[in-house]
Amino acid sequence: MDTQFIGEHLRPGQLGHFFVITSFVASLLSAFSYFRAVRTEQTDPSKSRSWTLLGRGGFVLHAISIISIFIALFYIIENHLFEYHYAWEHSSLALPGKYLLACFWEGQEGSFMLWTFWHAILGLVVMKTAKGLETRTMAIIALVQVFLGTMIFGFYFGPEFHIGSSPFILLRDSMTGAPIFSMPNYLDFVTDGNGLNVSLQNYWMVIHPPVLFLGFAATLIPFAFCIAALWKKDYQLFVKPTLAWSLFNGAVLGTGIMMGGAWAYESLNFGGYWAWDPVENASLVPWLTLIAGLHVLLVYRSTQRALTMSIVLLTLTHLLIWYSTFLTRTGILGKTSVHAFTGDGKSLTYHLLIVIGLLLILTIAMLVKRWRGIPKIKTEEETISREFWMFIGSVVLFLSSIQIAITTSIPVWSPLAKWITGKDFAPPNDVMKHYNDIQVWIAVIVGTLSATVLYMKFKHSDGKVVAKRLGLTAIIAALMALGIGWGQHITTWQYDILLFASSYGIVANVYYGIVVQKTRLRKLGPSVAHLGFATVLLGILLSSYNKHSISFNVTGENFPFGKRTAAENAKENAENTLLYHGLPTPMSEYTVTYVTDSLHIQGKDRIIYYKVNFEKTDPSTHKVVESFTLYPDAFENTKGQGVLTTNPSTKHYWDHDIFTYINFMNGGLLSRSKPDTSTYTSHIVHNPGDTIFLKSGFMVFKGLNPTVNDKRYVPADSDIAVSVRLMVFDSISGPVKEINPILIIRNRMYAFIEDTLPQMDLYTHIDNITIKPEDSVNHKQAVIDIRVKQTNPKEDFIVLKALVFPFINVLWLGIVVMVFGFFISLGDLLNRKGAGSIPAVKK
Amino acid sequence: MKKTHIILLLLIASSIAVIASVFADFSTYETFGSASSHPGKTYYVIGNLQKDKDMIYDPKIDANHFTFFAKDKEGKMEKIIFNGEKPRDIEKSEQIVMQGSYDHEGKFHCSRIQMKCPSKYKKDMVAEGKSS
Repeated sequence: MDTQFIGEHLRPGQLGHFFVITSFVASLLSAFSYFRAVRTEQTDPSKSRSWTLLGRGGFVLHAISIISIFIALFYIIENHLFEYHYAWEHSSLALPGKYLLACFWEGQEGSFMLWTFWHAILGLVVMKTAKGLETRTMAIIALVQVFLGTMIFGFYFGPEFHIGSSPFILLRDSMTGAPIFSMPNYLDFVTDGNGLNVSLQNYWMVIHPPVLFLGFAATLIPFAFCIAALWKKDYQLFVKPTLAWSLFNGAVLGTGIMMGGAWAYESLNFGGYWAWDPVENASLVPWLTLIAGLHVLLVYRSTQRALTMSIVLLTLTHLLIWYSTFLTRTGILGKTSVHAFTGDGKSLTYHLLIVIGLLLILTIAMLVKRWRGIPKIKTEEETISREFWMFIGSVVLFLSSIQIAITTSIPVWSPLAKWITGKDFAPPNDVMKHYNDIQVWIAVIVGTLSATVLYMKFKHSDGKVVAKRLGLTAIIAALMALGIGWGQHITTWQYDILLFASSYGIVANVYYGIVVQKTRLRKLGPSVAHLGFATVLLGILLSSYNKHSISFNVTGENFPFGKRTAAENAKENAENTLLYHGLPTPMSEYTVTYVTDSLHIQGKDRIIYYKVNFEKTDPSTHKVVESFTLYPDAFENTKGQGVLTTNPSTKHYWDHDIFTYINFMNGGLLSRSKPDTSTYTSHIVHNPGDTIFLKSGFMVFKGLNPTVNDKRYVPADSDIAVSVRLMVFDSISGPVKEINPILIIRNRMYAFIEDTLPQMDLYTHIDNITIKPEDSVNHKQAVIDIRVKQTNPKEDFIVLKALVFPFINVLWLGIVVMVFGFFISLGDLLNRKGAGSIPAVKK
Repeated sequence: MKKTHIILLLLIASSIAVIASVFADFSTYETFGSASSHPGKTYYVIGNLQKDKDMIYDPKIDANHFTFFAKDKEGKMEKIIFNGEKPRDIEKSEQIVMQGSYDHEGKFHCSRIQMKCPSKYKKDMVAEGKSS
């Protein structure tokens, strides 16, 4: 029995599904054809030619299908077709247009699509440029596309087992059994989608995932070229394209990772740009192996050494991308990550394991099969040579990636460790310290080497010249490090060494660029990239070492306060400050006031901005020397049942950032919806000096003002208007402000204009003014009936945390410089003619 | 023997030393019972939030003090002192991962809370509270 459903748009989904199948079949066809083309290369060139053409056709068809899938899904999201689960789950009617694309990467299927999409685009470029290696690289690329295609296949065999998951599944199919779907007009009730996670509604999140995924996808190309080289037993042809793609890859992946850092810094609360979170590590590790592989391949290009190592590192990089997908997408990280990635069932876990296994077997089999044939050089390299130290540097980078991978993978190996040792391993208690303590030495070694190696030449260098130049730069760098260390109070010796290493990196690379390379831009790639790298190290050191909280009254240091219990000590050291609505509170050299809050509706989400004013006064003159306002906010998101998310707000200076976010809030707009129970009470005053007491202070009546000059009041002909002068005092901070409610007699009717004092939640108006005639007790006097309402003062408050990041701009600058360096090198490499052909191999 | 080999051996030796020392850094998942026998040492404890018991957070007295009750896998109930703000919507979570240690008076001080919120149609939400 089939129900006929009303109002569904099935066509886009059917088309999408059709293209999913087409793209899969086309990639299969392409992989097979290219494979046949390789097989017939020697025996039958004309047949090989036809297979190649077929392979190309298949891949082009594949790429077109992928783009069509993209368009179909975008159409569904853009037109809010909530009969599709993907649109219902990840978007809503009111979602701003610029975030529509971000819906793609909120969901699992969309992320895989983005990845496949980049592979297809890059594959087209490789097809056009790979020339002699086209058939083999394209066979690998198409094969990987076959694997990836199964991820969005969506073949369902029962509730637990499925191969891939389709983005085109209907809402009613994804929730079978829900009673609503037995009604033909169920769509009348599905009026809006769930909306997009608020933390993704950020401009960084529009740009960060595509760039990062391009970085992930680009690792496939060096992988394909390395396998192709082994396959063809040609270890010359692949060098130039592999270098070019690795440079491109290093730049894009590096940018993608740091964009994630910038996003975390701007919109997450973990108080920084890097937290050694497993998800961050999962993309850093492949970047490290990529950079190591790139350098070893440079060694190979110039000296014919270390070919095996280059191939191992570059193929490993792509395998690690799959592994990091496994870590972040299957929910295995569950309890160790702040990112809310959770499981998509056992199917995906096994699916990814099978793919990783197949790619790993392919790589190892190729290496083993060709092992004997890989050219190796038996002689020993010189100690003072570029290749020797470049190789050491790469090994150190590789060791660094191993350490990060071991700790990040705790949830993967802990079941095994438990079986062996009986201990249930958990991540280190202080994760940041754990990584920093080890990685600081990697940074020192790599930072130092990155500057030193440029001074040495490949094969043979003149030790004296090198020593002279390096000695000079080391002296300048030492002076620079001393100055910075002194000025910034960097007193931990490990970090002093890092400070020297990064200063040395900066000085040496600048010196090298100017003196040795004579600032010829084309040749500056390595020194610019290395300069950027050293600047990044310096930026990380400066911004994290002296990162401190200012949101407590006394000091930025952690003192043992000598209290009896841990809790009391912690309280003294605590970094949260309570800010009452309207009450100025001292915080470091600032006086901070939570002024007001305002509501902003964005899509389905209610965002409350808390206006927090910072004022710095000169202690001697009491003049305000600096004043700025920050707007940390709190989101009430429809996702996750109205869980409140707070986002930071940051004041940027050239030399430091003040970073604030709200940890807790009470009252304010959040609770404004509850009825205001307070009522106006009547207070009678007669003479100047009479006082009215308030909940949090008092008001003094200063007299009447018969000439009302107030912009709220527009006079009319027959009006009689009078304003009352009331000076308000806060019981803690003293005089606040004079307020002037106005009474108007117009056409023999009373009218009043209220005056309010928002920071004390005070509302006043004049009910009437009468003149009491003289009697036996009193003189003739005015009777002024003032109505006063104060809505629960001091109940609105926020708990704020404020951190200072010194010199964080040095870090951002370093990244930009480094990426720029990659592109200079890439440009230089592509301009060079015949750089791929290297001298004949010495046997 | 080549110089490269010597340096590589040194690197490998030092990395083995580093990795061995790294293992000492790793914490373990414990229960209240096993954690209480090592006061002062920080562990991870997985437990269930006891929603019928008092959760006390009064930022007007101390913005960095929050207490609640949790029951671990073995069914032992413990009062938890968290030196930080009350994590938003902790009421909605069921399973929580607490990182903390017992003091010598037998009280469990927690420095980090990770919450898992159950949900009907949504995938699990993971939220996090961190002490300052």
